[in-house]
Amino acid sequence: MSNDVVLDVRDLKLHFRTRKGSVQAVDGVSFQLKRGRTLAVVGESGCGKTSLVKAIMRLLPRNIEVYSGEVYFNGVDVMKYSDEQFRKEIRWKKMAMVPQASMNSLNPVIRIADQIAEPLLLHNKDMTKEKAMERVAEVFSIVGLPLDFLQRYPFELSGGMRQRATIAMALVTNPELVVLDEPSSALDLLTQANLMNVLKRIKHEMGTTFILITHDIGTASELADEIAVMYAGEMVERCSAEYFYDDARHPYSNKLMASVPTLREDKELQFIPGQPPSLINPPTGCRFAERCHKRFKKCAEHPPVVDVGHGQRVQCWLYDEEGEVKHA
Amino acid sequence: MPSTALKMQPETRQAMPILAVEDLHTWFEIRRMGFFKAGDVRALDGVSFELYAGETVSIVGESGCGKSTLAKTILGLHKPTKGKIYFEGKDLSELDKHQLKEYRAKVGYIQQDPYGALPSFMTVERILKEPMIINGITDKDEQKRRIRQVLEEVKLAPIEDFLPKFPHMLSGGQQQRLVIARAMILQPRLLIADEPVSMLDASVRVEILQLLQKLQYDHNLAIIYITHDLSTVRYFSERIFSMYGAKIIEKAATKSLLKNPLHPYTQALFEATSDPDAENLKTFKDVPTGEPPSLLNPPPGCRFHPRCRKMIKGLCDVEIPPEFQVTEDQSTACWLYKDHAQGK
Ligand SMILES: Nc1ncnc2c1ncn2[C@@H]1O[C@H](COP(=O)(O)OP(=O)(O)O)[C@@H](O)[C@H]1O
Ligand SMILES: Nc1ncnc2c1ncn2[C@@H]1O[C@H](COP(=O)(O)OP(=O)(O)O)[C@@H](O)[C@H]1O
Ligand SMILES: [Mg+2]
Ligand SMILES: [Mg+2]
Repeated sequence: MSNDVVLDVRDLKLHFRTRKGSVQAVDGVSFQLKRGRTLAVVGESGCGKTSLVKAIMRLLPRNIEVYSGEVYFNGVDVMKYSDEQFRKEIRWKKMAMVPQASMNSLNPVIRIADQIAEPLLLHNKDMTKEKAMERVAEVFSIVGLPLDFLQRYPFELSGGMRQRATIAMALVTNPELVVLDEPSSALDLLTQANLMNVLKRIKHEMGTTFILITHDIGTASELADEIAVMYAGEMVERCSAEYFYDDARHPYSNKLMASVPTLREDKELQFIPGQPPSLINPPTGCRFAERCHKRFKKCAEHPPVVDVGHGQRVQCWLYDEEGEVKHA
Repeated sequence: MPSTALKMQPETRQAMPILAVEDLHTWFEIRRMGFFKAGDVRALDGVSFELYAGETVSIVGESGCGKSTLAKTILGLHKPTKGKIYFEGKDLSELDKHQLKEYRAKVGYIQQDPYGALPSFMTVERILKEPMIINGITDKDEQKRRIRQVLEEVKLAPIEDFLPKFPHMLSGGQQQRLVIARAMILQPRLLIADEPVSMLDASVRVEILQLLQKLQYDHNLAIIYITHDLSTVRYFSERIFSMYGAKIIEKAATKSLLKNPLHPYTQALFEATSDPDAENLKTFKDVPTGEPPSLLNPPPGCRFHPRCRKMIKGLCDVEIPPEFQVTEDQSTACWLYKDHAQGK
């Protein structure tokens, strides 16, 4: 494995136990991510985006039914680590996460600077308070927060500023991989655009590897080198951004793109009839088949992942040789 | 959904506007310790426009700029501090109780959050009956007929399956359809849709926008579509009003605005909106930093001037810009266009 692959996820599964049955939120997801690249994970709400990154970060609820697969981080399968080892060596130190809506879950009674310093002090035993504060000031300027905000409380900051603070908190330990779960969807347009500028600058200047979760493909295109499309717990397409917007291959990706309104181009919008399947006992074949305009016989079986060139991987029978023959 | 599908019928222009809003102000008093008046939040601060039957207008602006306050003031949910609202030529402030009820029946309202808008303890059938009961439509057959008709129109089918359901049993898109059905049941002439799709996924968003478009067309409805998302408006409206700091700062035909936004704030909204494109990776967005103004202590002059790069010192920071008619179908409240004729 080439050593500029930071993250190599293989057949990752995360199923939740519920009264109604097992929810297959992440069901056999595999992908690689190279250092310094940004992967945007897109898909409708409920398709398993948050669950996927929680499975990678091992931030799990109690009701776990299945949690399996391999997660190679810098070539080491960290799924084999004990919880203790993972917490000490990986989470925060190597990979950090800005959870969904975290800008609203800052502690209201603790000053911003102290909150941002927390992961540092918690994860480095020999970190002094002064050194931590120096680093906090550093990440403050990286995310574009004025230094006189250091001693303020969360309520004294606007939404955009609080979101920058949560990103500063994720960056403070200088992790190699940062996961951003819907970082801008609660923000106003101009604030959102400013935040994307900040993230872009961090990406260029610090070479941070990002996983960006979003349901907004327009915003994703500001930062994403690669796009992963999730549908009903599976990653149905994985493609470099260069090709994705015009040349996605999975019928779901095509439909998804056709539903995205554009400001600068007058295109005909389409929606996808029907709804995604339940993640409890989902169809055994292709999970999108029921809504797919290109469905054929083969789709009743579970589709293979096919490499259609330049690293574009599609989980669809249309691109399988055998499938194509039968389809014709 | 071709954006050209929405051509306003020519005869509607000549008639009297269905809605006219004149110098509308809605201020909320803020009290300190529940007693001393500490000031006013000027949530709506001098808004005027006209809307014709069958016409669709989008109102865009970021949160807190007064969009919902405008909607609620038109609906009569807030009493304007100053200014007038005319519906079909009649001054709302002069209507009696009975006439006000009639007015409310003619104006449908689609609230921001579909789930919050629906009473969780009522079935679909009950939710749709409620407005009819309030408005004195008590004939059981008529009630049934109307419920059937609106559910068909919003495509909640088979109808019998949906009638006994509670809101939580519906998907987000179905809930929004129900909200729309409820807004349509009294056969309104004007629909005010406050961010009807902002909580929905892209595909469901398209579905709902197409549904609104069809209703607009079938019933020659006037629609005020409120959104913070500039990219959906081209598919929906003939005109756009851009709002900032409790004022409308640009009014334009959608086509013209999308080609050439005039106000620096509208330009910023435009720049900030990303279309999916791998080229976006290579450039930074040229958008103003800072925050929208406080509506408790708004800045003097143009409310955008503290963030505006084209600010003219001694003018923009001093005097409130009037509306300048820049082209036939585009006007803006911005001093950069002061050589053009002033609008009314
Ligand atoms: N702790 C949990 N227990 C049971 N189901 C869960 C749990 N967390 C998430 N889910 C379900 O898993 C599916 C995927 O959720 P999520 O990963 O949050 O999707 P997304 O982030 O794409 O919106 C959804 O059906 C959701 O309801
Ligand atoms: N009932 C109210 N009392 C006091 N302030 C209000 C009230 N409703 C809205 N506001 C304030 O008025 C301004 C405009 O709000 P709103 O009309 O909801 O904006 P938008 O819908 O554009 O987000 C905001 O500053 C908001 O906090
Ligand atoms: Mg999520
Ligand atoms: Mg609002």
